[in-house]
Amino acid sequence: MPGALDGLRVLEVGELVSAPYATKLLADLGADVVKIEPPGIGDRARRRGPFPGGTPHPEKSGLFLYLNTNKRGITLDLSTAAGRTALERLVARADLLVHNVHPRDMAAWGLDYPRFARLNPRLVMTSIAPFGLSGPHAGYRGPDVVTWSAGGVAALNGAPGEPDLPPLKTFGDQSGFQAALTAAVGSLGALLARLATGRGEHVEVSAQECVAAILELTFEFWPYTGLVASRLGQKPIQPLCFMECRDGWIFLCAVEEHQWERFVDLMGRPEWAALELFGSRLARGANFDALQVFLQEWCREQSVEELYEAAQRRRIPFAPVSTMGDLLASPHLRARGFFVTVDQSAAGAVTMPGAPYKLSATPWQIRRPAPCLGQHTAEVLAEVGLDAAAAGGAG
Amino acid sequence: MVRRAPLAGLRVADFTWVWAGPFCTLQLAHLGAEVIRIETATRLCVTRLLPPYPRDMEPGPNRSGYFNQYNQGKKSITLDLKRPEAVAVARRLCAASDVVVENFAAGVMERMGLGYDVLRALRPDVVMIALSGYGATGPDRDKVSYGPAQVPLSGLSSVTGYRGWPPMHVGISYGDPTGGLHGAVAILAALLHRARTGEGQYIDLSQWESSMTVLPEAIVSWTMNGVAPPRDGNRDPHMAPHGIFRAAGDDRWIAVAIEDDAAWARFARCLGRPELADDARFATLVARKRHEDELEALVTEWTGTRTPEEATVRLQEAGIAAFTAATNRDVAEDPHLAAREFFVELPHPEVGVRRHIGVPWRMAASDCRVRRPAPCLGADTDQVLREACGCSEAEIADLRARQVLA
Repeated sequence: MPGALDGLRVLEVGELVSAPYATKLLADLGADVVKIEPPGIGDRARRRGPFPGGTPHPEKSGLFLYLNTNKRGITLDLSTAAGRTALERLVARADLLVHNVHPRDMAAWGLDYPRFARLNPRLVMTSIAPFGLSGPHAGYRGPDVVTWSAGGVAALNGAPGEPDLPPLKTFGDQSGFQAALTAAVGSLGALLARLATGRGEHVEVSAQECVAAILELTFEFWPYTGLVASRLGQKPIQPLCFMECRDGWIFLCAVEEHQWERFVDLMGRPEWAALELFGSRLARGANFDALQVFLQEWCREQSVEELYEAAQRRRIPFAPVSTMGDLLASPHLRARGFFVTVDQSAAGAVTMPGAPYKLSATPWQIRRPAPCLGQHTAEVLAEVGLDAAAAGGAG
Repeated sequence: MVRRAPLAGLRVADFTWVWAGPFCTLQLAHLGAEVIRIETATRLCVTRLLPPYPRDMEPGPNRSGYFNQYNQGKKSITLDLKRPEAVAVARRLCAASDVVVENFAAGVMERMGLGYDVLRALRPDVVMIALSGYGATGPDRDKVSYGPAQVPLSGLSSVTGYRGWPPMHVGISYGDPTGGLHGAVAILAALLHRARTGEGQYIDLSQWESSMTVLPEAIVSWTMNGVAPPRDGNRDPHMAPHGIFRAAGDDRWIAVAIEDDAAWARFARCLGRPELADDARFATLVARKRHEDELEALVTEWTGTRTPEEATVRLQEAGIAAFTAATNRDVAEDPHLAAREFFVELPHPEVGVRRHIGVPWRMAASDCRVRRPAPCLGADTDQVLREACGCSEAEIADLRARQVLA
């Protein structure tokens, strides 16, 4: 079956998560993505792992192998004139270029939208930067812990009653993923606009803004009420909490009154439904210190899976605190074919997350594994009439 | 040159509520689609019933900052879909729409007679997406899913937390925006396919699955080596120091990441301790990871006597990645975001002018922006029924008299 983006020519000058995940989204839907890496060293994700057996190897990094499925890979030294000339030849016939080269380095790497637009007025170029391309902080550096903090999500996560514990970052490069998704939305938007105008344009994404865009209801507390959200406050409504069971952790979620009534029934404590102390979600929040003790005592005797299933049968939206092993063993995810196993030339078969969505007419699919460093340099440069050695791309 | 919106002329029938679905359609509204929320006063969208409400006003369904943030640029109509006449109107709206978005439990749209098969018969090129917690197929498809529970379900909680502490949350219902954005990507890709081939399609999005696509290191660590990364606070295996450190002031904090050995040398100079650059305990990443407690104490000694703003400027000027752990107030008052015209302040009929978050990307040529404040409940019912559904004034009056437009 065809891919939704078959025939779309995409270039990526990217490393780590943001630009690579943006173009992975497109590649997995059929786009022809050419990833451009610096000769010799490549994308920094090649050095992040995880690696089989914990032994670093540039062709075996799990993060890299996941983020670069379905792409062809070439090496070009964009700090040289020959490398930049080769890039321009590729730009001349591309639909989209996505990069996350820092704004301070863009000029030196030849990432110049006005110049590209003269070569190819139909080109869409999407620039992802930690703080965007303009404004007083445009030159600031920002890996995830910095942009996650600057966008305001880190300050929301912590332990109530533990003021000495810092705001807590979420696992992984989540700013990178949010910026990637936003960059894909902006890029596809520009490609849809091009259908009417015939012209491309420059799209710009700020990771800080992408994080600020997902503050849920907390941002508006300032303009609406003048309140500053704090990670140290107790939740106003309960139960909405983690509890330890005898074989793992579960997330209790029974804030609505009908959910609470069914939960106390499930616990064999129907009389609690009548207790004033726990009589509403706000009362349960206010008296959570007491409630927590009772709930913990009861949960400790339960198994996660049995409690999850028993709650779900009563339409109470509990969820297990899934471990990675739980996810891989899930019959539901297996039935949906979520995890995919990709044969990599160096690392062998690697099982990784698969489709985030199922499109009926143009399915998400793996057509090729992530490229080895420079694997397609000669092939891709030949397509634009260049000799790899002359372009300085041999790497 | 007149700036044109990328999705000008595109109509979206939006049956979603809470956060994931509205966050998905928000992106389409930013791009200029006519997004029409189908709501009902008989069962209000959860976010209309949640705070914050303006401090100086009575709460009301049009006054929630939560709703008003994530429904900017959209229209609202009210239809009581428990009534067959309302479903008939909804069907006419879908037939006049390019995209239909819903996040009901699996099977609800089908039972109402608004399933993909019905809608495709009315409009063969419709792009329809269902954003559900568990997906439209599979043994768990009928399970109930709440935003906050998606974070633990996805596996994210089991790898997020302070070292030696229980699993933690994210601080937001992270599965919702992640699912919503993936949904927007799928819709836009399907629209490009439709433009080329004339073919529509059905998209089944599971929030659980889209949340796992952002956890590759943890999942692949398990599939490669049978181990999951330990919960390790704010530390990073490839950078040190790397964390959120106490700054001067009441509960003020600053994030600092030393990306490589050269950055460490620059940082040592900032600390006024240039000799630390060559100190065997800290000169390399391996050494810094080994002495990370000591290292963090050194950082805190320096950050603890400076406000996070002061420390940020000092460090960033030296080429070191750092920024205040911003509160909602810090974000709202961030001069950089204001200079970039990130915020939106449009007059809303009930809450007036309030600062809202705008579009987190810019388009140099296209018209991409927040076009109007979030709609009051049912504000656009008559106009949409007239223009999109082709209802006459008499028909609208009759439907209203029979409480169908509630």
